[in-house]
Amino acid sequence: MEVLGSLRYSLYMIFHPFDGFWDLKHEKRGNLKTAMIIVAMVAATFILRRQLTGFILNEVKLSELNIIVEILSIVLPFFLWCVANWCVTTLMDGEGSFRDIVITSAYALVPLVLINVPLIIFSNIITLEEAAFYSFFDVLSLVWTVILLILGTSVVHQYSLTRTFLTCICIVVGMGLIIFIALLFFSLLQQMYAFFYTIYQEIALRL
Amino acid sequence: MRFKRILAVSIIFILLCPAVVHADDPYSNYTYDFWGTPVPTPAAYVPEMIVDGVSLGIEPFNKPSDLFVGPDNKIYVADSGNNRIVVMNDDWKLVRIISSFNKEGSKDSFKNPSGLFVTQDGDLYVADTDNSRIVHLDADGKFVREIGRPVSEIIPDDFKYYPTALVVDKAQRIYIVALGCNQGLIELDSEGDFVGYTGASKVKFNMVDYVWKMIATDEQREKMTNFVPTEYNNINIDNDGFIYVTTSGVSLEDIDYAISTRSKDDRYAPIRKLNPTGTDVLRRNGYFPPVGDIVFRSRGYAEAGNSQFYDVCIDDSGIYSVLDKKKGRIFTYDVDGNLLYIFGGIGNRKGNFRDPVAVDVIGDNYAVLDFNLNQITVFRPTDYGRLVKEAVELHLTGRYDESAARWEQVLKYNANCELAYVGMGKAYLRKDEFRLAMKYFKLGNKRDYYSKAFDLYRQEVIGDNFGLVVLAIIVLYIGSRILKRIRTGKKARIKAMGKVEA
Repeated sequence: MEVLGSLRYSLYMIFHPFDGFWDLKHEKRGNLKTAMIIVAMVAATFILRRQLTGFILNEVKLSELNIIVEILSIVLPFFLWCVANWCVTTLMDGEGSFRDIVITSAYALVPLVLINVPLIIFSNIITLEEAAFYSFFDVLSLVWTVILLILGTSVVHQYSLTRTFLTCICIVVGMGLIIFIALLFFSLLQQMYAFFYTIYQEIALRL
Repeated sequence: MRFKRILAVSIIFILLCPAVVHADDPYSNYTYDFWGTPVPTPAAYVPEMIVDGVSLGIEPFNKPSDLFVGPDNKIYVADSGNNRIVVMNDDWKLVRIISSFNKEGSKDSFKNPSGLFVTQDGDLYVADTDNSRIVHLDADGKFVREIGRPVSEIIPDDFKYYPTALVVDKAQRIYIVALGCNQGLIELDSEGDFVGYTGASKVKFNMVDYVWKMIATDEQREKMTNFVPTEYNNINIDNDGFIYVTTSGVSLEDIDYAISTRSKDDRYAPIRKLNPTGTDVLRRNGYFPPVGDIVFRSRGYAEAGNSQFYDVCIDDSGIYSVLDKKKGRIFTYDVDGNLLYIFGGIGNRKGNFRDPVAVDVIGDNYAVLDFNLNQITVFRPTDYGRLVKEAVELHLTGRYDESAARWEQVLKYNANCELAYVGMGKAYLRKDEFRLAMKYFKLGNKRDYYSKAFDLYRQEVIGDNFGLVVLAIIVLYIGSRILKRIRTGKKARIKAMGKVEA
């Protein structure tokens, strides 16, 4: 029941972002459980969108669905954003905790679900000439989400608008850095593994 | 006893069964589907015979470099190493050897002739490469004129003129491909006077290179490659006077880019079709632009490396075939740029090539000239290849139903043939069977046509159920009004309750 109420609150929030995000944090209108459900819903939406978008607008090979990759391609960037957000705002006197960041960011994703699910149905009844409407709403959902993410960051950390923009740029750079370090880490790990494996092989073959 | 009888019957049965006929072609037969994956297909063309000096009863060919099929299906071969032109009829019997001609009283001969063209009247034009001239002979092989190095102030003095291929259009204008000439084709008028360059490919502008050039020093700048158009390596002309030119100068990265973007323009095109003003008009409406192999980085049916186009031939219905010199394949496309079939291959078996340099069409057959093996390989269509060709031709002449019947048969040979699905879809679309048309366009991955069929289908559905649609709209409207009223009523009650409590 609490989740349901919280979801209904998210519908109010995306139209009234300033009050909405404030209450989300200070009036405890949001909770982690709902946030996770929203992220799951976004992942589900994108999988449905990949598989069920009408033939005219769908240029992916339907038989080659890898559901894990699809889920990870939503969940990983989300948490990457949250972690980078926390890292940057901790250094920049942000007031939000990691929990706040996760909740706010998740709630900001609601337009993606809200617009994309009807779009899937819509895509099945339009022709190529009407595809402009489709892409308009597609872009609208993205723009709306990005605006909400920025406003959410601003409200949660109590930043001014310019400071928020600066922070957001830093967050994106931070995300790039995290990816870089992760790749470096795994590459090193792989080389270490290869090194020890060669030693093992050498010994095993000599004995 | 009974066991023996069963055994005997089964042995007879096995013997009576026809052996499985295994088509053993010396190359793999494949095509590319919508996703760019190589998929196996039945053979469309198979090697039928090999023609060389021995079979003609003459001295063997020596590094022959061009083959041209003239009117009456006479076949002309530029036997460059022997400095002669060999003429055959379509039974592959020798007609004539032209090794010398009488030029104004004195005997003259060719020196490394590497390109030739025969007009509809049977006049023979030879690109006499090492003599830096074009030789014009009449249908009997008599000397008419020679056209030397074009004279113009825009041709630099140090330009070495080596014509390698040429065509002559119906107005007797001559278009020449010359070695090391990247300004396009050299166009001469009917008198043989220089008119200008035509058909040069557009120079690609690369922002990154430009920026580098701006910050580079003069020495560095000199070492960088210049932005120059690609050089053509061969030329052909179709019945309508459109000129087809090929080039092998497009880089692998550019070809890769054209493939991944399914490019329709001629910027990175290894084959162009030029109209009289020298503009590219080739239709590239296939799943991929006509660039030869689509997959060339990974292992599969196609080996590594992109196709290097070296020759092109066009048949009467506008189906054109391009020769990939590197992998010895012939790619055949229809007027719209759909890939029809691929055949041929480099190898050591009969029917393989070592260094194919020229391809031309003779009736239904193809002849491919091999520079290294000194022979001509003749390919004939299989039933499958014939069906595909007929289906395309019938569709072009407007006989859609017959075309669809051919496509249906094609599908029995090859369920992978997306073109056949599209062909059948078009036939159903014309018959107003939109559902079926949609089904076939979907199988053929043809989204634009699917959209057309769907549009008409949608109209049909709405038209048939017009009453229902109107009813649904009315119900929805009334329903929303009632819902709104209930909601506002509820709100008002809550408000009232709040007031009472207060």
